[in-house]
Amino acid sequence: MYDFDFEKPSTIDEAVAALSSEGAQALGGGQTLIPTLKQRLNMPEKLVSLTGIAEMKGVSSDGGTMKIGGGTTHGTVAKEAKGSFAGLAKLASLIGDPAVRNRGTIGGSLANNDPAACYPSACMATGATIRTNSREIAADDFFDGLFTTALEEGEIIVGVDFPVPEASDYQKFEQPASRFPLVGVFVAKHGDRVGVAVTGAGEDGVFRWTEAEEALAGNFSADAVSGLSHSADGLISDLHGTAEYRAHLIGVLTKRAVAAAS
Amino acid sequence: MATVTMTVNGKSRTGEAEGRTLLVSFLREELNLTGTHVGCDTSQCGACVVHVNGEAVKACTMFAQEADGAEVSTIEGQANADGSLNTIQQAFQDHHGLQCGFCTPGMVMSAAALLKDNPKPSEQEIRNYLQGNICRCTGYHNIVKAIMAASGQDVSAVAAE
Amino acid sequence: MSVAKPLPHDAAPLHVTGQARYVDDIPTPANTLHLAFGTSAHARASITALDLAAVRAAPGVIAVLTADDLPAANDVSPSAHDEPLLAEGEVYYIGQPIFLVVATSHLAARKAARLATVTYAEKPALLTIDDAMAANSRFEDGPREYTRGDLAAGWAQAATTVEGSIELGGQEHFYLEGQAALALPQEGGDMVVHSSTQHPTEIQHKVAEALGVPMNAVRVEIRRMGGGFGGKESQGNALACACAVVARLTGRPAKMRYDRDDDMMITGKRHDFRIDYRAGVDAQGKLVAVEFDQLCRCGWAQDLSLPVADRAMLHADNAYFIPAVRITSHRLKTHTQSATAYRGFGGPQGMVGIERVMDHLAAELGCDPLVLRQKNFYASGGRYLEQENEQVAPSTAGVEEDLTSRGAVATGEPDKVVAVPVGAQTTPYGQAVVDSVAHELVAALCEKADYAGRRAAVERWNAENAVLKRGLALTPVKFGISFTLTHLNQAGALVHVYQDGSIHMNHGGTEMGQGLFQKVAQVAASRFGVPLERVKITATDTGKVPNTSATAASSGSDLNGMAVAAACDEIKARIAAFLAEVHQADPAEVRFEGDAVLVGADVIPWEKAVAEAYVGRVSLSATGFYKTPSISWDRIKGEGRPFFYFAYGAALTEVVVDTLTGENRMLRVDILHDAGTSLNPALDIGQVEGGFIQGAGWLTTEELVWDNTGRLTTHAPSTYKIPACSDRPPVFNVALWPNANREPTIYRSKAVGEPPFMLGISALMALSDACAACGPHYPALEAPATAEHVLEAIGRARAGESG
Repeated sequence: MYDFDFEKPSTIDEAVAALSSEGAQALGGGQTLIPTLKQRLNMPEKLVSLTGIAEMKGVSSDGGTMKIGGGTTHGTVAKEAKGSFAGLAKLASLIGDPAVRNRGTIGGSLANNDPAACYPSACMATGATIRTNSREIAADDFFDGLFTTALEEGEIIVGVDFPVPEASDYQKFEQPASRFPLVGVFVAKHGDRVGVAVTGAGEDGVFRWTEAEEALAGNFSADAVSGLSHSADGLISDLHGTAEYRAHLIGVLTKRAVAAAS
Repeated sequence: MATVTMTVNGKSRTGEAEGRTLLVSFLREELNLTGTHVGCDTSQCGACVVHVNGEAVKACTMFAQEADGAEVSTIEGQANADGSLNTIQQAFQDHHGLQCGFCTPGMVMSAAALLKDNPKPSEQEIRNYLQGNICRCTGYHNIVKAIMAASGQDVSAVAAE
Repeated sequence: MSVAKPLPHDAAPLHVTGQARYVDDIPTPANTLHLAFGTSAHARASITALDLAAVRAAPGVIAVLTADDLPAANDVSPSAHDEPLLAEGEVYYIGQPIFLVVATSHLAARKAARLATVTYAEKPALLTIDDAMAANSRFEDGPREYTRGDLAAGWAQAATTVEGSIELGGQEHFYLEGQAALALPQEGGDMVVHSSTQHPTEIQHKVAEALGVPMNAVRVEIRRMGGGFGGKESQGNALACACAVVARLTGRPAKMRYDRDDDMMITGKRHDFRIDYRAGVDAQGKLVAVEFDQLCRCGWAQDLSLPVADRAMLHADNAYFIPAVRITSHRLKTHTQSATAYRGFGGPQGMVGIERVMDHLAAELGCDPLVLRQKNFYASGGRYLEQENEQVAPSTAGVEEDLTSRGAVATGEPDKVVAVPVGAQTTPYGQAVVDSVAHELVAALCEKADYAGRRAAVERWNAENAVLKRGLALTPVKFGISFTLTHLNQAGALVHVYQDGSIHMNHGGTEMGQGLFQKVAQVAASRFGVPLERVKITATDTGKVPNTSATAASSGSDLNGMAVAAACDEIKARIAAFLAEVHQADPAEVRFEGDAVLVGADVIPWEKAVAEAYVGRVSLSATGFYKTPSISWDRIKGEGRPFFYFAYGAALTEVVVDTLTGENRMLRVDILHDAGTSLNPALDIGQVEGGFIQGAGWLTTEELVWDNTGRLTTHAPSTYKIPACSDRPPVFNVALWPNANREPTIYRSKAVGEPPFMLGISALMALSDACAACGPHYPALEAPATAEHVLEAIGRARAGESG
């Protein structure tokens, strides 16, 4: 790992200022970034830790919206969302392992946009809004291909606002070694609008399965999607599974998510 | 290089750390606390689990400077004040929850974190909680038994019909 | 008596408090240097230019060594001298060490190692079994073949035959503690090396060669390893030699540890195999003819591949009598990591072959595989005629060989043993099976775990459930105990009794978690009749006990327990003779028990007895030596009695498979395992549980993947799936089968390190059973049975494109 300066500001403004210098990079819980730095794929000159910023932590509810600070750990999300937003709580509780969930944050996960990260699927399926220090970005506009987002240089995710669905579920087929999803499917039902988002499978990262969404809009039941199958085109083929296998899993998991949605 | 101060096992400890210095390297090399092990370097195996401000974390995936000012507990601080083994440690010995012992410090630290949150975990809860702690020797059976025993639960029925 | 008690691991209090020291935990002098290898980026190439200027200029770098800088031998092979420490112009796999960086910190060394500019002229690489077969790239001049019986007659009797092929993946050891070594230079050019090794004598030998000094100038010490599993039998040589060479050249201590990534890229793994088979049974379901072609991918260097492949052949029968059989073994040389020892040492691969045959035949016959297995077990009973070993002076030819390595070539004639079996069936290599308990043990397990009831329940479940299918399989294990290189079956021990009655015990075995030290200490305490607390367990040290064999082949307690017993008995005899004389008693009636020495009517407390003996000028220190009797083996002919005895076991595993995704898990496992009269039932059960999970992991989740350039793509635990706590079966019943060893082993115990690994085969066969429940055809499930492989096998069961 290359050496770098380390800063740990306590407010968003300080963090934004610290990140304005050349070669500075934000550090969330570090559960993805630190392994990446170890592989020397990434060499910032300065790391700005966001874990000391109290205003970026915590979960609150505002009408039908769940507002989650960008510095909130997966462990906290799993606990806090449990009663009102079961799908999200389940998603958070299945990330990594307890020690990873104690450090890793929702903001860090979204900013990194790993093609196999879990949270992007929840954002896409529910139509969440990502709040940064300077603006609000709709989930559909935020994720921009592998490890790429709409974030500008030095821009920080301060929070995410999820419209809380009536029913939701997350089904994850784990790549058994890393426990990242080989395929993850998040299903969210808001009245007549149903969101189905798939992570882990797409060559361009997270995507919505609109065909399934349309089929479910009028009939939210597993039967409604039982005739659908996803094409293998554009899906990842790697050592953990072929594109065909992933396509097959998308169909199976979507059905299961609809059946389990509560 | 920066000076980092943290409370480790109840004592204030100060040392030098670069920005890139991992907490595990700081503990092992700067403070000579070699009970925290490096098994995989990639936060998968859990041999490096310590507690930071009461929560289990993987010391190989946290920078030392992140722990500046924090309360850190390691395996070296787990025994009772008189030096006798604490309940979890004693249970790992009594129930043969170790073989080569390399994963043991991380296992004990994870078990302690689990029992703090959930004093009477079910067998299933123990298994799920230990997902991030790899043991290559034991097959886990005796580790689960040890944690059941440490939580004061009957182990005679663990995994038997 | 301390033996046969379920005492905890001797170092447990140190482990749970973080005080147990591994090599990387040993405090080092401030001027210690740290090393890292720069490695090859190509599977097969010539190095046309090597520019190390940037490496040398990197912060913290003290020196960079290439092959030209080495003071003496450039070889870390345990066998054929074909494995240079640093490449000499040619590279043979991705990950092969080319140069050695010496720096002031571990991180500085690793970082600098990436800065070299290496120019390669690439050559065609042989990566797969098929590549190597096509190019006739192999070790030895041709395939080895063992045959027995009249195959033509066997085939003529066959009423049902099957033919097929199974792929068996390799396996990463994933010892939690990676490879590590520390060399401390001494006066006069001597070297002390701490190495995480199962084979200190091998380290001593290779370090002596690397320094160009005799073995007496090198002392190797190892207190414990954080797991070995075979991966530290020869794979530590490179680190130890590198450290010693640097310590010699700089005069400073040198330490090296591989990061996990480097460890997985550089070191050898379990051999992957393809086994092609053809097998037939007669109308009664008895095997009449079996033919195996074992294709074994050995990687780039010979290492221990020949004895590994031999052992695969020696376990091609498992627990079954095969009257007519041919086993052909191809030891293929490829441009990948050099495959090495791994728990079972080829035995597991050989055994999967015959278990696959039984599974396939049962499917063809439409019968329960267990019924077919039971029909073909070796008969119980039989014996050897009593024979004296005829000692033959071994030849001294070939002293330059690495004599203590399993990779050595047998030189001269081994002990000639005339082993005449009476009333016993023989293995394909002619050893009588006189100790089989397969019938009894399997019957007991069926009873205990309700095989019949559960078979019916699984059938009911499968009839009622379309998505989740269950499978059940019971497989036996019969594993041969002894090094097949006969001369390695020897061990030494050193025991001191100090004047205060405390005992210092040392032997050639190494501790890697298996509890060897505790078991052997229990033997010592039992011999002297004293509490275990009197016995100090000490680090393995080539300066105390020389010429040790690797702690391998499950032989640790058998060999070292006997050697320690011999040393204790020697001291006891001296004490007894002395006290008998003083107390005017018969030495034969002096007894050692209850922490005292009983001489006639006198009970002399141990400490007092020892003090008296000391004052009486009795030597209270002795070496002990043991060699396994009655064995001999000709590996070229494939004849003899390579094994002193067999260890047995059986496992019944139930699984469930999700037929929509291929996901699967174990629901319940029941095991009965034969550890003879166990020296320590708690430690032995631990070996059985851990061995089973590791074996099941090999065949289910642990998948090594190389890309088409020869790069290992699964080189971290994030891509290579080690069984986790949640993978273990919810119901896991393990018991030992009480079965005193017929052979005179230490307290009639049996070796237990490797045999339980192969109980994991039941998991693969249970998955096969579940896949078979999905359709009419044989699923021909490959190993490892990952979710995707299981889904493919379900497809074959349904559609019948059986392979």
